[in-house]
Amino acid sequence: MSKAAAVPPSPLSRLWHKWRFHLNILLVLIPLGFMPKYFHDASLFRGDSGLGEHEIGEIAVGPWTLQLAELRDDAPRADGPAGHFKLFNAALCSTCINEVKAVYLRIGKPRSLRAAGVLFSGTPYRMSANLPIPTNTRSDAQIWITIEGWDGSMQQSAIPLAKASPATIAWLQQQGGK
Amino acid sequence: MTFKACRLALAIALLGAAAPALAHNPMCQCEPIAGEQIKCTGGFSDGSGAPGVTLDVVGYNEEILVPGKLGEDSSLTFKRPEGEFYVLFDAGPGHVVEIDYADIGEP
Amino acid sequence: MSQKQKKSNSRLWFLVHSWLALPIWFFVLIVSFTGTLAVVSQEIVWLANPDVRASKPSDDAVPLSFQQTLEAIHKAQPQVAVDFISKPDESHFAYEASVTYPDGRSPTLYINPYTGVIQGESPSFNFQAFTRALHGWWLVPFTNGYSWGWYLVSLLGLPMLASLVTGLVVYKKFWKGFLRPTLRVSHGPRIFWGDLHRLSGIWSIWFIAVISITGTWFLIQAILADNHVTLSTEPIVPVISREDVPRTPNGEPAQRIDLDEAERVAIQQLPGLEVSFITLPGSAYNHLYLGGRGWYPLMFQTANINPYNGKVEAKFLVSDRSATEIVTESMRPLHTGDFGGIWIKLIWAFFGLVLTLMVLSGLLIWTKRTAQATAAALKRKPRAKLSASADTTTEASA
Repeated sequence: MSKAAAVPPSPLSRLWHKWRFHLNILLVLIPLGFMPKYFHDASLFRGDSGLGEHEIGEIAVGPWTLQLAELRDDAPRADGPAGHFKLFNAALCSTCINEVKAVYLRIGKPRSLRAAGVLFSGTPYRMSANLPIPTNTRSDAQIWITIEGWDGSMQQSAIPLAKASPATIAWLQQQGGK
Repeated sequence: MTFKACRLALAIALLGAAAPALAHNPMCQCEPIAGEQIKCTGGFSDGSGAPGVTLDVVGYNEEILVPGKLGEDSSLTFKRPEGEFYVLFDAGPGHVVEIDYADIGEP
Repeated sequence: MSQKQKKSNSRLWFLVHSWLALPIWFFVLIVSFTGTLAVVSQEIVWLANPDVRASKPSDDAVPLSFQQTLEAIHKAQPQVAVDFISKPDESHFAYEASVTYPDGRSPTLYINPYTGVIQGESPSFNFQAFTRALHGWWLVPFTNGYSWGWYLVSLLGLPMLASLVTGLVVYKKFWKGFLRPTLRVSHGPRIFWGDLHRLSGIWSIWFIAVISITGTWFLIQAILADNHVTLSTEPIVPVISREDVPRTPNGEPAQRIDLDEAERVAIQQLPGLEVSFITLPGSAYNHLYLGGRGWYPLMFQTANINPYNGKVEAKFLVSDRSATEIVTESMRPLHTGDFGGIWIKLIWAFFGLVLTLMVLSGLLIWTKRTAQATAAALKRKPRAKLSASADTTTEASA
């Protein structure tokens, strides 16, 4: 530093010398700024603010019904080489809890029960599935819900992806633009 | 969210909730190699391999053309079947990855 | 090496030491303090919230088993779905059960370990989680892999390690400080803070080393995870295959073994396993997942049990770990001090406080010294033009 004083300081180093202690203020502002988001997320995870940010509503699947919601009303999230995923939450109707063995979600009609998609896991009142969203998904795609009953029966129902996740459609259009 | 849901629950117990929920999603990649062969490699998005996991090649008519299991290196090489088919990486109910033959391409 | 060169070397080390934390001292101070709070956050909640305490109704009361706890919850609240039960390490804490209500809310219930009474549910503000999130990732959300707040905090491990090393280099013959501790109270604040900084420094060498090394590990851990590289040898435990889940002709859910039976099977087949938590199956295809600390207290041992036939289908014991994993998995508990009950936590919290004080005393020394140096510099050449930055250009002359 004493050496540096001998040479005329560059504008950049002057700027640094003048403002470096303000870094503290900036750093402390970060958690303050994220606090509302933190509490929003904490309430979302705890189920205090419903099933998800975007409630899709009640969907009939054969004799059963299911409440479906997007956890977050935003674009799918990247998971490295595994691709992009969208987290959906679901709740079973109270009378079907003991009849339903498993619930699956998939983009497009499943070829078989074995390939029915991702499995919901959690409790019947609140379970989640992380749905892979290929970047070449068409914007008129449907998401298919498959329910497997303990009696061996299989029921299916579909809703447009555009209805289930408008944010995903917007994201897909962006991907196409690239 | 899927596979290591258990491990995730443990992480939450240790870290005390609202913890980073890092996913371990199943994944599978297939590429054409010389001699009309296809090599598929399975694994999980955290970087774990999937040795011993089932990988079947299934025709569009749901007939299993090549039943297989991934080797120690988490991969399986098989001869490209005729016609329309898909590859099914199957680590159990709801833990599958499908790859359509059209997405595998030619060498 | 000449005397002069030696002197200028130590001067350089001194400069490096004093600049390591300076521009971000307040950030370091808060991270250090919130870390201290996080260590004893469970105890703070214990003091503040009677619901989490485990009061013994009588001297000969016996703690409930997992199955008894589950039944007690269902008896009091038949509608509730339980997905996780844990018996805390220390007996003064209530059991915890993570549940979901039919309306989708999923709090943690605090259960009296002896009577099974539901003493309360976790408040929507979770103090423990909040202090940990503030300390661990500065509340920056995890959206794509690790949060950048996590990187920001864990990066501090490096300057911290450097502070320790340069501090010891600068404090010549520091080991003498152990034999002749000095804390001069009556020689002015500059001397007092300097003595305090050195004295607390040498007594926390081990702690600063542990925290900075484990902190740096958190940085490495994030880099690995974000590049989808794992050091884990833990087998990915697939769900139970479709064939192995019983079909029920009457359409009712297949019968599952009870939790105590699962615990019994696990302990019988995996000697040394202790069960302090059980995760209930999240679907018809999931295992019961149970575990607890083993003989090596820094690690958890776990087992996956098929709930329909009671078979142990996967396990992960201390003996299953690779040498690398033994080291890397020990990092988190060493950082948080939560591996051996309240006394270790109190030691960690005490040294956490000392560390916080060191950041503060380091800053005070710096300002005192700089204030003097600034005054001296201004006396020598009062250049109005430079006065704005005088406080920051003269620290070297201290």
